[in-house]
Amino acid sequence: MNVVEVVRFAVAGLLANRLRSLLTMLGIIIGIAAVILLTALGNGAAQYIQGQITGLGANSITIIPRAAGGSAGSTSGASARPLTTEDAAAIADPQGAPDVAFVAPVVQTSVDAASGRSSTTATVVGSTPDYFPGSNTRIAAGRAYDAADLAAARKVALVGRTVADDVFGPGSTPLGQEILLDNVPFQVVGVLEARGQGGGLANPDQNVLAPLTAVQSSLTGYGNLSQIVVGARSTDAQAAAESEINSILDRRHGIAAPDDRDYQVISSRQLAQVLDQTLSAFSLLLAAIAAISLVVGGIGITNIMLVSVTERTREIGIRKALGAPPSAILGQFLVESVILSVLGGLIGVAVGTAGTLIPLGDFRPVVVPSAVVLAVGVSVAIGVFFGGYPARRAARLRPIEALRRE
Amino acid sequence: MTDVPVLDVRAMSKVYGAGETAVHALRDVDLVVRRGEYVAVIGQSGSGKSTLLNILGCLDAPTSGHYLLEGLDVADLDERQQSILRNRQIGFIFQSFNLIPRTTALANVELPLVYAGVSRRVRRERARAALDLVGLGTREDHRPNELSGGQQQRVAVARALVTTPALLLADEPTGNLDSASTADVLGLFDSLHRAGRTIVLITHDDEVAARADRIVVVTDGVLREATPATRAEAVGRVTR
Repeated sequence: MNVVEVVRFAVAGLLANRLRSLLTMLGIIIGIAAVILLTALGNGAAQYIQGQITGLGANSITIIPRAAGGSAGSTSGASARPLTTEDAAAIADPQGAPDVAFVAPVVQTSVDAASGRSSTTATVVGSTPDYFPGSNTRIAAGRAYDAADLAAARKVALVGRTVADDVFGPGSTPLGQEILLDNVPFQVVGVLEARGQGGGLANPDQNVLAPLTAVQSSLTGYGNLSQIVVGARSTDAQAAAESEINSILDRRHGIAAPDDRDYQVISSRQLAQVLDQTLSAFSLLLAAIAAISLVVGGIGITNIMLVSVTERTREIGIRKALGAPPSAILGQFLVESVILSVLGGLIGVAVGTAGTLIPLGDFRPVVVPSAVVLAVGVSVAIGVFFGGYPARRAARLRPIEALRRE
Repeated sequence: MTDVPVLDVRAMSKVYGAGETAVHALRDVDLVVRRGEYVAVIGQSGSGKSTLLNILGCLDAPTSGHYLLEGLDVADLDERQQSILRNRQIGFIFQSFNLIPRTTALANVELPLVYAGVSRRVRRERARAALDLVGLGTREDHRPNELSGGQQQRVAVARALVTTPALLLADEPTGNLDSASTADVLGLFDSLHRAGRTIVLITHDDEVAARADRIVVVTDGVLREATPATRAEAVGRVTR
């Protein structure tokens, strides 16, 4: 009596009841496919959101003005104080904020951008060279403006992809050409890499980047800042940098309670934290659903194997009367259930993996290899565990009792 | 060695249930069967003869007493060893044939050899030979539901013979057969007996019993040897 014979009997047993075997396997297929699909979905969502966050700029912190006293019915007489170049200078002071690496004050204004041919509406962003790493902006062609441009207030500009397309023609690289921003001529020195509609706020492809001094002198005047982009010394220093910024601005704006702040500090770290919590809850939920469907599949196997043992009690009796040892009977039924679960598991992996190839909106599900290994392992375990009980029951039957049953 | 009886039953009892409701299926049965004997066990239904045969076939265990098969006390063996004993020493033939459904005649006959660990080629040869012996060599690919009752029983006989067991046990082998098939199967037993096989069979039929060289009668769990004088009477009474 060798293993090959046991497997042959098991396969014959399964083939004798094709439809039932298939339906039993379906439970496992759905369970495993659900595990793989749902974990891939969670993983894909996590990667997508992580990508969005890093798109905001690594280690960067953005400060924007906010109406004072966000809470309802606020009557604090102090009108909101805008962000100023002095605020930016104070944050840049290494004494008060040792964890801040750089500070980029930003002014923004909407302008009519035009060349000799056509025009469009663009957003001029005036800042310092630190704005590029701070906002994670990359240059597709040409160069960034530098400290010399800033000091001399040179009218140089980098245009976003959409602006270049609209003003100079689709796919153009208008380096050295002149662009009129509200009729003020700027020289194009670079084209920005296309980013697409990212964070959902402004479209960065619609931007025109220019030195802060040039924008202030020709377009906005020397007034308040639209925002301040701050870079932390490192990812780990981000939290410390945030609290330093808070204490500096609270002092300068005369704010007693955090609720009364007339500015808002937004960082990728905060976003990542909130999203991480949401995502792990989400992943846990998906995993729980998947686990439930696996258990249901396992119970399906137990149920079918019990039915199979009961239905074939007489056959078991005959086999025992002919000299089948208990191990052969145990083996036959155990192998049957393991075949069901392993085959179901493999088909489930195939179905689940195929399912992840379907893109869902903006993000793609990403298969978690450990989930695949776990799912297949679990399906084998289900076969042994859930099939073991009926198999042992079959093996323990006394021949005469088994033969008497009809 | 040749002195050891194939089958030696000593003071064997089988009780079903316990206390007030206990049923004594067998009471202190003694029975010795020597090599080559052809023994018919007769008795009314409920007399305990089927219980006796099941115990002899190691399908059931006695409540008390000893059962020695080829000199070996079956009670000393564990489940696995008993299954080996059933496989090698005993060929069991049932009234209801008990072939495995949806399985060809050849595969059915091969089955005991599979459990004996015989290689595929050898067991195919031996199973074919056994089927030829019972005259079904041409039907090896038929499934049980494609065979008549007599043919099914002949497949079952081939299956019982294929391991060349020391002992053939048959529980009313002709009980479900018409007279032509009965004659076939009994003829088969006669030739096996002539070839020196040890056969114990249970029957209701005096014609069947008459072919055996020994008859034992079971009445209410008590076993009596039928002497030549009482033999005709015993057969007549049971089957009247």
